[in-house]
Amino acid sequence: MSSSIDEKLKDILTKVLLLDESKISDGMSRKNVEEWDSMAHLMLVSEIESAFEVTMDDDDIMEIQTVGDIKKTLKKLGITI
Amino acid sequence: MDSKEESKKRPSEPISLQLEKLLDQVRKEPTHLNYWNAHKRIQKLDLESLKVPDEKKIKVALLSSFTIDPLGIYIDIKSRLAQLHPEIYVAPFNQYQQEILDENSRLYAFKPDVIILAVQADVLLNEKFYSEFVKLSEVEKYQTEILDQFQTIVSMLTARTDALVLVNNFIVPSFTPFGILDNKADSGFRSFFYELNQRLAELYKKSHQVYVVDLEGAASKHGKSRCLDPKLYYRGSLLFSESFLPVIADEYMGYIKALKNLTRKCIVLDLDNVMWGGIIGEDGIEGIELGNDSPGNAYKDFQRVLLSYYNRGILLAINSKNNPEDAIKAIKEHPHMLLREKHFAAIMINWQNKVQNMIELSKKINIGLDSMAFMDDNPREREQMKQSLPQVLVVDMPSSPFLYRQTLENLNDFNLLALTEEDKKRGEMYHARKMREELRESISSLEDFLKSLEMKIVIKYADDLGLPRIVRMINKTNQFNLTTRRYTDAEIRKMKEARDKFDIYSLQVSDRLGDEGIVGVAIVHKEPNIWTLDSFLLSCRVIGRKVETAFLAKIVADAREQGVSTLVGEYIPTQKNAPVKNFYSSHGFEKLLQKGNLYRWRLDLTKSTVKMPEWLMAKNE
Repeated sequence: MSSSIDEKLKDILTKVLLLDESKISDGMSRKNVEEWDSMAHLMLVSEIESAFEVTMDDDDIMEIQTVGDIKKTLKKLGITI
Repeated sequence: MDSKEESKKRPSEPISLQLEKLLDQVRKEPTHLNYWNAHKRIQKLDLESLKVPDEKKIKVALLSSFTIDPLGIYIDIKSRLAQLHPEIYVAPFNQYQQEILDENSRLYAFKPDVIILAVQADVLLNEKFYSEFVKLSEVEKYQTEILDQFQTIVSMLTARTDALVLVNNFIVPSFTPFGILDNKADSGFRSFFYELNQRLAELYKKSHQVYVVDLEGAASKHGKSRCLDPKLYYRGSLLFSESFLPVIADEYMGYIKALKNLTRKCIVLDLDNVMWGGIIGEDGIEGIELGNDSPGNAYKDFQRVLLSYYNRGILLAINSKNNPEDAIKAIKEHPHMLLREKHFAAIMINWQNKVQNMIELSKKINIGLDSMAFMDDNPREREQMKQSLPQVLVVDMPSSPFLYRQTLENLNDFNLLALTEEDKKRGEMYHARKMREELRESISSLEDFLKSLEMKIVIKYADDLGLPRIVRMINKTNQFNLTTRRYTDAEIRKMKEARDKFDIYSLQVSDRLGDEGIVGVAIVHKEPNIWTLDSFLLSCRVIGRKVETAFLAKIVADAREQGVSTLVGEYIPTQKNAPVKNFYSSHGFEKLLQKGNLYRWRLDLTKSTVKMPEWLMAKNE
């Protein structure tokens, strides 16, 4: 189950931020991924929200800086990756 | 960094191939995520290195009062899927006015071919407009205010560029503070927007540069509650939801394709399981499904849309594997076929390869393969066509005929930026050409021609359903009108009630082209032994087809049946009714005395009669 969740998240990250799937790591952040601008951030959040059927808190969305932060926020909403 | 590595991995792969691969991803799975991904990755390719002919290039600028970047993504990808090479410029968020006003803005430097100006009504109105609307008076002035603002910026665009300017109309809100009373209020909230849209359309009706895109219509089609994603709207000022983006993008693509001459002019159709259900060669004319019951009604409906396209100038053609005799017989004789031979610019029914047929159709009709769309239920035929003739638009037909009509209606490949009278008649003209070639010798008389129309008429006493049309005809018809007597609705209703004194007849005509509806009215004043034609009139649509003779013949027959010996015809000449001057004399009436400008003619029913023209099929009801 958790692997399929991971696949979903990987697919979104790969496509929104134009990443190489095999290189995705928790440390990737808004600072070192060129494509991760505010529009992409909004897209990322919206795709994750619909894929996992959750609504993130606006404050949490603002605070997300890394891939790891996304997982943390999802965990807060009861989704463990 | 990743894209660099990827390109390192396949240094030899040409850009065009990489582009196709990215587009294939969208073709296979047209999700929002894939649109985004393909767009962003394509922007990273060295597109400059592609050699693109000018006619395939298009520059689209988007100006908006909200975040419109996602629409840019869809227009980019959809243009590429249509074999175009777009460049997209999205003006910074909510700076559309500055961009338009400033002559040195990036907008003008970009030199767009198309400018999409997407503005919400909200931003053009005072902040209090929504909350205080109920208290407002003279709301027209707010409409005028919006339209003035619009006109000012649009006229600047048209003065400074040659670009096609696409402005949208406004989504009529689903909510109204008046609730169920909105259309009872002096100025309803929804009515405000309906009227605003009408006035906006009126403003640019005659323009060849500015087009009003029907955002309201697209939103209704999609479902207004699904057009806006509140999360995206409040967080990011995104007005269009993920599900609505492809729909509204298609709306804009209709204009872009028309501008770039990607318009399809001809729909090429398979027969079995496309025009009717079943296989004509096996099921026979009685066995195929086409009619008023399911699933035959779905096929009939599909034909109706095709016919409406035909009437607008889209050519139709047939490409089918069948015995030509079987298929033509069904087209000619099946009572529920709406499309007959004459609607087709060319017909290829044989057992040869459909690709070969397509090439021959293109030659016969003399249009390019890139102007043709192909509809076939067989996926293998479609695949072969796609591979052999990629210029042809091969429509992905749904497996259920219930969805045929919708599929056809959703194609936006037949648009023109202007429609001429000739366009509307194109189908007829092609057919006429075909007919002339085929039948030049065989049709020699008017009667033969009329017979070929397969005309049917229905003559009946006026009923409530037909009355509005009858009243309108009585008050509007000038040319084929023997007395030009005008009667009000109330007067007609009175006559209709007085069955012992008056008979009001209506005449309906239909032929192979379709149903013309009520095209004739007669009022007979009944006295013992004498009937008088108080009124007798015909729509100019059917003049020259001798239906007047049939109409008169029916009245004569009724009079004789009632034992009436004399039918009197009245005639009052006017400046416009010259066509009926000889109506009575040509039908065997004798002239009676003239009273002022009232001429009276008499038909002695004991000696003479009027015969029903034999090519007309009269139906009693």
